[in-house]
Amino acid sequence: MELQASKAQAVPVPSVWRFTPLGLLLVICLILPWLASPLWIRIATEVLMWAGLAQSWNIIGGYTGYLCFGHGAFFGLGSYVTGLMMVKLGWPFGIGLLFSGILASLLAVIIGYPTLRLRGAYFAIATWAFGEMVRQIATILDVTGGAFGLQLPSFLNLRYFYYVMLAVTGLTYLTTYFLLERARFGYKLLAIREHEEAAEMVGVDTVSIKMKAFALSAFFPGVLGGIYAYWVTYIHPDSVLGAQLTDFMVVMAFLGGIGSLWGPFLGAVVVQLVQRILWLFWGEGTFYLVIIGAAICAVVLFIPNGLIGLMESRFLSPREAVSQLRKTFKW
Amino acid sequence: MILQSNDLVKSFGGVTAINHLSLTVEKGTVFGIIGPNGSGKTTFFNLVNGVYTPDSGRVTFDGKNITGLHPHRIAELGIGRTFQIPAPFTKMTVLENVMVSTFIRASSLKESRKMAWEILELVRLDDKGNTQVANVTLEDRKRLELARALGTKPSLLLLDEVMAGLTPSEVKAAIELIRSLRTRELTLIVVEHIMDVILSLCDRIAVLDYGQKIAEDIPDQIVNNKEVIRAYLGERYSARN
Repeated sequence: MELQASKAQAVPVPSVWRFTPLGLLLVICLILPWLASPLWIRIATEVLMWAGLAQSWNIIGGYTGYLCFGHGAFFGLGSYVTGLMMVKLGWPFGIGLLFSGILASLLAVIIGYPTLRLRGAYFAIATWAFGEMVRQIATILDVTGGAFGLQLPSFLNLRYFYYVMLAVTGLTYLTTYFLLERARFGYKLLAIREHEEAAEMVGVDTVSIKMKAFALSAFFPGVLGGIYAYWVTYIHPDSVLGAQLTDFMVVMAFLGGIGSLWGPFLGAVVVQLVQRILWLFWGEGTFYLVIIGAAICAVVLFIPNGLIGLMESRFLSPREAVSQLRKTFKW
Repeated sequence: MILQSNDLVKSFGGVTAINHLSLTVEKGTVFGIIGPNGSGKTTFFNLVNGVYTPDSGRVTFDGKNITGLHPHRIAELGIGRTFQIPAPFTKMTVLENVMVSTFIRASSLKESRKMAWEILELVRLDDKGNTQVANVTLEDRKRLELARALGTKPSLLLLDEVMAGLTPSEVKAAIELIRSLRTRELTLIVVEHIMDVILSLCDRIAVLDYGQKIAEDIPDQIVNNKEVIRAYLGERYSARN
């Protein structure tokens, strides 16, 4: 009660303060490659990629409430499409990325048409099976190089990939902000998540809205997959189509807080950094999975709204923060 | 005449929920539907607003055949509906709930917000506009259910037991509210178990039993109808009287 009362009386935060953290984040992101060592540029690029992937999963999984377990397939599709276009057709990287995104969206529409009628675990299982199917196809086809994978032309410029990744991930967040947080489309998605029949009853064309959401959420992994392929120069079915890819998107979104703009970002930063730091100290291993698994259990049990839910009540203006501290420590 | 159902049939497996039902509702009236549990009242609503497609027969709304259309299309055409058990968008605010339903009538988010506030004022929920639905009472959820249906600016509103679960004083307030909605532009079809409510609200009442219409008349005549007494109170009671 006391908390609510204090919230109601809180002075509105001036917009300058609201945008300061965002501006700071942007500046840090822009100058980072000129300060960090190659190793850390690489890690930062990974973090950005995962932030984009987690957000795209969040569009269908968090905002719309359809837990997709086949999202890795869109990433893998993007990797292979960009790779094959560059290797077999000699097309430029940018065109490859665009095609990867569009094809991933197209595939989402084809897959979504039958599967978006299913709900809950059934949708999860159907999309998981779809992801597995794509992996098997990439393994047996000749054109993809089968289990041997695909070698791309090398272009070793860490900063270039960092900035490309930053641009696409930034676009993911901008799209989410303008289409989901600030437009009718987003409200419709939330309505579908909360009560699909009721949404349909008040005039939401649920079938078409769900398809659009799924197509949108598949576009970005397609593009990010393409960037990843050119960045690491060698891809094979397990590296770009493995089940772990999807799992990490889901885990990051949940840890950070699903259905929120900054949750997936936070989740991606935390999970990827923890994973990399553990890797730096203890080398190659799978023990980090145990730690992340335990962290997920803790999140689901104690903070179902994710880290962002935990922070929202703490993200106060400096003055509010001081008064909160005073109250806590009885100054 | 705003709504007409012609010889509607709908069965689920071996059970015929709606059995050759024909109803005609005049524009600007309040039409009541009563009947024992399982007599097909909610199924009828589901057939009218497109949740189910009838096995045979047709539904005409405002001179247009709407049989088999999707619920969102029917909402666009002007039929609103409330759920018997409130089905709000729980993790959204009261205002946002109503905003979603105004989307088919508004051209921008801003206009939606304005329309939603007006409707909340009408059903006297404007003081709860910014509250999460998870934190409002059952009575307010029922009001929200009504507000959300009104958000689609319907010309025909199907009210499915909006009074169920309310205390007597809340029922009184709800009756006043529904009376105030009644205009020449808005036709109401009311399903209700509480007889006082239905008798005081409706111009005409139809009685369903096992999916068939067993009577249709003005309220005063319905309470004395032999068939109705038999369906509600049983063979022996009706024979004794």
